[in-house]
Amino acid sequence: MEQFTYYLPCIYAFLACIGFSLLFNIHGAAGMLICAGGGALGWLVYLLAAPLVHSDITQSFLAALVISAWSEIMARLRRCPVTSYLLVALFPLVPGGGIYYTMEHAMSGETALFLESLLHTLGLAGALAVGVLLVASLARLVTNYQNGHHRLPGGKRP
Amino acid sequence: MKPDYSQLLELVSEMGFRLMLSGAEIYRVEESISRLLQAYGAERGEVFAIPNCIIVSLTSPQGEPMTQIRRMPSHGTDIYLLERYNDLCRHLCRETPPFQEALAQISDIERTHKVYSLPVQLLAHFLGCGMFSLFYGGSVWDGLCGGLCGMVIGLCLALTSRLGANLFFKTIAGAAVSAFAALALTAAGIGQNPDSIIIGALMALVPGIAFTNAMRDIMAGDMVAGISKAAEALLIGAAIALGTALALGLIHLLIGG
Repeated sequence: MEQFTYYLPCIYAFLACIGFSLLFNIHGAAGMLICAGGGALGWLVYLLAAPLVHSDITQSFLAALVISAWSEIMARLRRCPVTSYLLVALFPLVPGGGIYYTMEHAMSGETALFLESLLHTLGLAGALAVGVLLVASLARLVTNYQNGHHRLPGGKRP
Repeated sequence: MKPDYSQLLELVSEMGFRLMLSGAEIYRVEESISRLLQAYGAERGEVFAIPNCIIVSLTSPQGEPMTQIRRMPSHGTDIYLLERYNDLCRHLCRETPPFQEALAQISDIERTHKVYSLPVQLLAHFLGCGMFSLFYGGSVWDGLCGGLCGMVIGLCLALTSRLGANLFFKTIAGAAVSAFAALALTAAGIGQNPDSIIIGALMALVPGIAFTNAMRDIMAGDMVAGISKAAEALLIGAAIALGTALALGLIHLLIGG
């Protein structure tokens, strides 16, 4: 039973990402599998990190790091825009539940709970953002370094 | 070859327009345009883009300035088109074919563009939203209901898009309709867990795309673009909450619970 708690959510995330990759008009099995694989991988990291860090914001951050790195690598390999893979693979981490529970607390007039879940939702979104940002900046540094020798001073990268 | 600057201006702004229309980040649009300008040998070209507008300006060797402004209509994200235009842009930078040929290649991509039909899109909504209902701790029946609610959202989005509604309204309508459907399915005894059904279905509306793109823009130094997209993401999040609250509140009033 223990293993199912790891496998099942990842499989759900995988299939859900396949559904959403259709919605963003991704054609071709390879693209879909990369997106869905990224989503499942991210959630696996999220779950595996749980006993280590005990905070879902940090878990989200780590998962976002892994997903961005995966998307950057895949985009380099297939010479495609990174966005294509990143958009769909991040879906399982988007705090949809947070938005819903925040709304629910607001409706039932529980101000303390409302504020708490609002800040928590924003925290999760912030963790995602920082994770994506960090990897994207590093990837940019690497590209700039690789292209460094044929680059004009002050110009855009070629 | 001396480039004809007015045609060059037409070509690069068309390329930028198409890229942005298919959902490219701002820095990708700006970078593509400036690379194209360099490839075609225009030394003094500048480009500035924000989410609703692209401005390209050139100065010809005789010292005449030329500018083109393209206003962006509201648009979604189409990865297939984005990849094709990105490839074409690289190809143009490498080969620099004559302008007419380049423009023909751009419109070729639009002609051979393929989208999934509405039934396939609804199926995708079903799969995506149903799986997210399971993901958020629902039972198998909840997954089924979540999928159905997702299809309802898909239909609602297709309908309101055809009517030309704005993003905020579309989101409120989609969220409200799916919450209604979820409560109806639960009342009918099929769904057990309205929370996970609604959350799963709402995943079709969450502003993940806007948010990620906003972050990437801020990282690339385009503060104006990043901040306006981040504001859009927050607004959509608020719209989701509002729509769902509307439906739940109405049901509450009607049943009087």
